[in-house]
Amino acid sequence: MVETVKPIPSTWCPGCGDFGVLAAVKKAALELAIPSHELVLVGGIGCSGGIHNFLDMNGIHALHGRLLAQAVGVKLGNPKLTVIAAGGDGDGYAIGMGHFIHAFKKNASFLYIVMNNETYGLTKGQASPTSQLGYEGNVENPFDAILTALSIPAPNFVARTFSGDPKQMTQILVESLKFNRENRGFAFVEALSPCVTYNDTYKEWRAKVQDISKLSGYDATDRAKTFQLCLDTIAQGRIPIGVMHRPREVSAEAASLELKLLPDRTGPAVADIDLTSNRATYERLLHALA
Amino acid sequence: MTTPAVSSTSTISAGTARQAPASFQELSDLSVMIGGQGGDGTLTVSDLLGRYFRRRGLYVYSSRNVLSRIRGGHADASVRASKLPVAAEKATVNLLLAFDHEAIDIGRAELDADGLILYDSSSFQSDAPDAIGFPFATLVGGQVGQPIYKNTAAYGAISIILGLDPILTSAVIEDRFQRRGAEALEKNLKALEIGRRLALDRPELVGRWSVADGDAHDRILITGNHAVALGFVVGGGRFFAGYPITPATEVMEYLMRYLPALHGVARQAEDELAAINMIIGASYAGARVMTSTSGPGLSLMTEGIGHAGAAEIPIVVADCQRVGPSTGEPTRHEQSDLSHLANLGHGEFPRLILAPGTIEDCFQLTGQALNLAEKWRLPVILLLDQALCQNAVTAAPFDLSAARIDRGDRLTAEDLQKMTRYGYYQYSAQGFSPYAPPGTPGGIAQVTGNEHDEMGHVSVNPVNRAKMMEKRMGKMVEVVPELPSPSLYAMEGARTGIIGYGSTWGPIREAQEILRHQDLPTTFYQARTLFPVPTPSLGPFLDSVDVAFIVEHNYTGQFARLVREHLPEHHRKLRSIVKYDGMSFRAPEIARRVQES
Repeated sequence: MVETVKPIPSTWCPGCGDFGVLAAVKKAALELAIPSHELVLVGGIGCSGGIHNFLDMNGIHALHGRLLAQAVGVKLGNPKLTVIAAGGDGDGYAIGMGHFIHAFKKNASFLYIVMNNETYGLTKGQASPTSQLGYEGNVENPFDAILTALSIPAPNFVARTFSGDPKQMTQILVESLKFNRENRGFAFVEALSPCVTYNDTYKEWRAKVQDISKLSGYDATDRAKTFQLCLDTIAQGRIPIGVMHRPREVSAEAASLELKLLPDRTGPAVADIDLTSNRATYERLLHALA
Repeated sequence: MTTPAVSSTSTISAGTARQAPASFQELSDLSVMIGGQGGDGTLTVSDLLGRYFRRRGLYVYSSRNVLSRIRGGHADASVRASKLPVAAEKATVNLLLAFDHEAIDIGRAELDADGLILYDSSSFQSDAPDAIGFPFATLVGGQVGQPIYKNTAAYGAISIILGLDPILTSAVIEDRFQRRGAEALEKNLKALEIGRRLALDRPELVGRWSVADGDAHDRILITGNHAVALGFVVGGGRFFAGYPITPATEVMEYLMRYLPALHGVARQAEDELAAINMIIGASYAGARVMTSTSGPGLSLMTEGIGHAGAAEIPIVVADCQRVGPSTGEPTRHEQSDLSHLANLGHGEFPRLILAPGTIEDCFQLTGQALNLAEKWRLPVILLLDQALCQNAVTAAPFDLSAARIDRGDRLTAEDLQKMTRYGYYQYSAQGFSPYAPPGTPGGIAQVTGNEHDEMGHVSVNPVNRAKMMEKRMGKMVEVVPELPSPSLYAMEGARTGIIGYGSTWGPIREAQEILRHQDLPTTFYQARTLFPVPTPSLGPFLDSVDVAFIVEHNYTGQFARLVREHLPEHHRKLRSIVKYDGMSFRAPEIARRVQES
């Protein structure tokens, strides 16, 4: 058998929240029995974005903030691949914010995991878009990706999980990947993933997380209700986690970008480009110019 | 002045126009300019005339001069028709059609000594002594109901003045408007008749000229943008992402229309950062990809192009140059991105810059760019310019049987089974590595813009770093024999060289003829590869001449600077002929500047 690249041992600090995500990705891929050559992980820039190096699957390391655009390209290039984009809060919510909003709107079927630690860990602890007021002198209001995601009216899957709850995280990743593999659309999962070195929030977050599905009135198909539950939870000083939005059911019409563009899932990467077999079509295009 | 002056050829009467050779003048190279406010339909008139002349076997070159706005502001279009191949605007205009005062003011400067001004007198009167006014909009508004068809009426009047064949004149209208439905077609035909009548009632105008027939039959009339788009499709291009930007947008629009039927995808992205990264993703997935953009978009794509160079992901970027920097002049012509592209990005990585000069080049070099990118695993820039991208020119239908597809060392699952080891960055003699798109059983790989070892593991090992730099940069040397060769146009005994690229091909070819008539034979090197600087062919070319003029549309002589840097032994021979006013060269200007030096 041909020898190919092997995963390397992780370079993260011991105790890093990202280990929880790494374990959950492995478990979810195993549970769904996805062949590793059909899996592509698009990594961002930052500690978390290196996750592709530690997994036995295809990896492509994107530019800072551009992983979503590359993931859309991979998925549209070959819709039969299972694509996971993974990066941090700086990568996704600062430099990559433009692409972040558009990923929901595009609704291509891939999973985007943001490992949110509320800091720029790799550059040694600067304030990030999600940093609390006062962190490293931060005077800007923290950004909430879940509230933003809920405000975009597209049939996406939206969830927040916590590295301190590996069982729930695995469940949510399995559900997201199933959603993707049924070509239903974009799945966004924010993983609260503490940076033990520059912003160790394990204890604080463990005390504050509130599984939103346990609250009365919870309905993941109802954006407005979930939005209100999130606001109420935040007002109580808690952090809402769980599945935040789950489209009602599989619609008869294609909802995902790749199915709208490539109904038979035969993408540009495997399209027939043979000159002989396409000759008649090319002749027609040429004569359309006459 | 309400009564237009009678032209000097007024002795021709309507009945005898075609039998009055005394003042009958046959044009074998003519130019019609149509000017007005944006929305007046100037482009429609030039399109109709272009279609007519093409069907008479003439070579056509149609250009436009519009402002960056949807309506209003001066806009003009020119159509040139010639028995000989042309790919540039004619120096003077034979017939000027004006829908407003400004069009007369602007067009008059370019009018031939024997030229004629025709204008729509519905809303203004020109006091130009030689201008002929017809109330196109008023009459069309009254009889057809909508004054917007005034442009078709004007086309009708022109058809009489130029002695065009009436049957073909209407057939062209049918061609153009059939798609819009029966009502639109009928109204246009009515308007055509109104315009024809107006001119026929003026005996001195009937058959003022006639237009020679040509023998260039079965030609297509096509813009560079459409030729690039078609070259992309035929070259196996199946994924495109772009962002609307003048003058590149037509590439995207064409591909959005035609790619879906071929399992292809063309997407409008949220910005150029997304567009370049989407094509990087799709290329990595195994598709042949391209984006098209212009200056401001190119600036944003710079980080992505560098990434593709470092991560060895093949991409093609078509840069339809316009006036820069910043927003510059979106609709105007310039060739000022070369210095940026040759040095583009932080760090060092290989990139190729190809420069189509003719419409055939646009088609052919796009296919070649895809082959080079995919085989050599690097970014390839197609350097275009506004005139080449947007002006339409007649061409022989492209030779589809000459197209070739080279996917380089692309591996299948069976190939992988026979190998002992597969890494995305494996060393090879020529610098490019075999690759298996994700999804290929047995072909798992890691791809990254971090420095990496052969297997794609991140590495800062100094020995590895040096080897990887040499692997990537070595491609720039190894690829040279496969790069597009220049087109050479040598006249006997020439010791004067002209060097150009892009749309300057057309005016330079004509300037060569002008200079030949002035007893100055020249030899023209049309560079089709700009970077790496084509020293293997350019060196011998410079050896063969005493002086060489490098013609380009920028202030600093960007290609001249590259040539000086790479062929320093010839620097005394090099002269720059530059133009940076936003307008493209016309042949007499190049000829004059060669003579003056």
